[in-house]
Amino acid sequence: MWSDDQRRRLYLENEALHLEGFTQFTVYWYRSNDTYEASGNTSSSSGKLYTLQIPIPNGFPQQRPPMYLTYPFPLYTASGNFVSSLGTSHDMHTLTPSSAGQVQICHWRDDRWHSAIMLHKVFLKGLLWIEAYEQHLATGRPLAEFVSTMKERI
Amino acid sequence: MTTDPQQQQMIREAMKAIAERRPGRSKLVYDKTKRTIVAVTEGSQTPRALNITAEDADMFAVATLSSRWLSDRWGIIMRDRVLPVHFSCWDDGDALTQCDLGALPASSIAEGVILLGEGTPQPTATNLRVVLRSGKAPVSEGSTFVAPDGSIHHAVTLRQIDGSEKTLDTDFVDLQPELAIRRATLLETQVLKDKAAVLVGVGTGGAHAAIELAKCGVGRFDLIDPDRLTVGNIVRHPGGISQVGRFKVQVVCDLIHEKNPDAKVTIHPVAVSAENLETIRPLIAAADVVICGTDGRPSKLLVNRLCVEENVVAIYGGAFRRAFGGQVLRVRPKTSPCHECFVAAMPEESTNVEISSQAAADAVAYSDRPVAVEPGLSLDVLPIANMVTKLALMELLVDTTSTLGILKADYAAPWYLWLNRPEPGTQYADLPPMSESSDEMTINRWYGVDLARDQDCPVCGDFISSIAASYGLDAKAFGNLPSLPTKE
Repeated sequence: MWSDDQRRRLYLENEALHLEGFTQFTVYWYRSNDTYEASGNTSSSSGKLYTLQIPIPNGFPQQRPPMYLTYPFPLYTASGNFVSSLGTSHDMHTLTPSSAGQVQICHWRDDRWHSAIMLHKVFLKGLLWIEAYEQHLATGRPLAEFVSTMKERI
Repeated sequence: MTTDPQQQQMIREAMKAIAERRPGRSKLVYDKTKRTIVAVTEGSQTPRALNITAEDADMFAVATLSSRWLSDRWGIIMRDRVLPVHFSCWDDGDALTQCDLGALPASSIAEGVILLGEGTPQPTATNLRVVLRSGKAPVSEGSTFVAPDGSIHHAVTLRQIDGSEKTLDTDFVDLQPELAIRRATLLETQVLKDKAAVLVGVGTGGAHAAIELAKCGVGRFDLIDPDRLTVGNIVRHPGGISQVGRFKVQVVCDLIHEKNPDAKVTIHPVAVSAENLETIRPLIAAADVVICGTDGRPSKLLVNRLCVEENVVAIYGGAFRRAFGGQVLRVRPKTSPCHECFVAAMPEESTNVEISSQAAADAVAYSDRPVAVEPGLSLDVLPIANMVTKLALMELLVDTTSTLGILKADYAAPWYLWLNRPEPGTQYADLPPMSESSDEMTINRWYGVDLARDQDCPVCGDFISSIAASYGLDAKAFGNLPSLPTKE
């Protein structure tokens, strides 16, 4: 299922995560079903705990990996709704939630993703999203007001 | 119009005689004095009249049959002396075209029989018969059929209409030689018939490219596209309104066969995805060229990976937003920049794609920020598809002494840019008018741009070594596939 190139790349991703200082995240191999996941617990600047999880898709690195925020669960908006209920939201920078209802953070859209993007850059966007989320909770303003949006051709 | 019953009767008889190609008691002439057609007794002198021949009045139907089809069944007709045949009935019966000739029959089908010899009894329900009369000398008319045993036959097609039997012109056609001779002076048809093209995406551009390649004589196609033809596609796609609902791969398969009936076409109504990558891989490995006309980047990146790994030339064509222009990238693996190199070198151009379908719109939309479907015009997409086709042809004939070889230097660049209009809001908004500029960039011209390969490309370069080195790691150690932390 996984090519040698993919396995080598995932090993490199794990090394890069730690060498870039993202030691709270690790690339794991699930022995039982031969799948990979990058995940870890992290704290926001306010000290709140979050868990980010990136299941590695079969087509990685050509295929964009999704990033889910799995803890706290469920995640609420400032107005008390589930963030996952917003689905693909520009205001909250989210994509389709997981089947379990976990929020998917919009780090790159498919039309912007390419194989040279490494996982520590994805996690960095996840950390920025968490900071923006806490600003959203504090102010009630859309999360998109606190993180810049990639130039869009829409 | 004459009211003379005798004259009316003579006209009727004369017309029937002409239709049936037999002499009659009266004939038709154009009376220059009356300036009308009249019937006169056969043999009478008509100094102020123009004789009307059967050829002049040749508004009768024509029946077209495949000589190869009949040759293949010659043993059957020799045994049974009768052979069923089906015709597409076009234009109220003006043209009867054997269904086996092409992939797309008419909505009206005429059933008939081919009879070997005049005296062969025919099925009672049949009102259309093609009679093969034994001949002696070879005649180079369309109605002549030379059987595999060397016997010569002249065909007459007869059809019962409104109680009377009418004669139709009969034309045997031998498709492949007649098609090939039209291309032979410019293209190496014997080479192309064994060449294989994989088309990923057969929307407007991909379908056009496939059909053009079929016209050129390319003999093998694999078509990959999960979409069905919708009404919204019709103003752009070669498939017509009567095809709505069919898979695009099936529509294009039929259109290819309409142009090249011997083409071997395999259809795959699926999307290229990581899940079916290993199913797609052998198709690409067996191809001589891959044409990728999908809008979405994910499929392009996967196709790029497969083509580089299998060392197959790929050509990526696409229109910009609302088809104000377009671009074509040709990738010769490990020689020219691959699609990932292109994305890294030209990030803006690589994301400037046409939103031609709801799926393409959904890929960039958010539920709170919808994106409109804004397809460009077909006529603005076709220049891009033509360029894709031409580059593909050059790749297919690269090892031959083709006439196209003189274009090698013209098409040396890996990336090509085309502009249909100076689109407001883009860097091309202020282009000088085409008619006023000879050296500045204008619309309606191709620009070839040289790009360098990215030696550190994740697909065609050595990304892992490069990144590993940047972290002071030894990539050679990765060759042993070191293990990662494990979870059960």
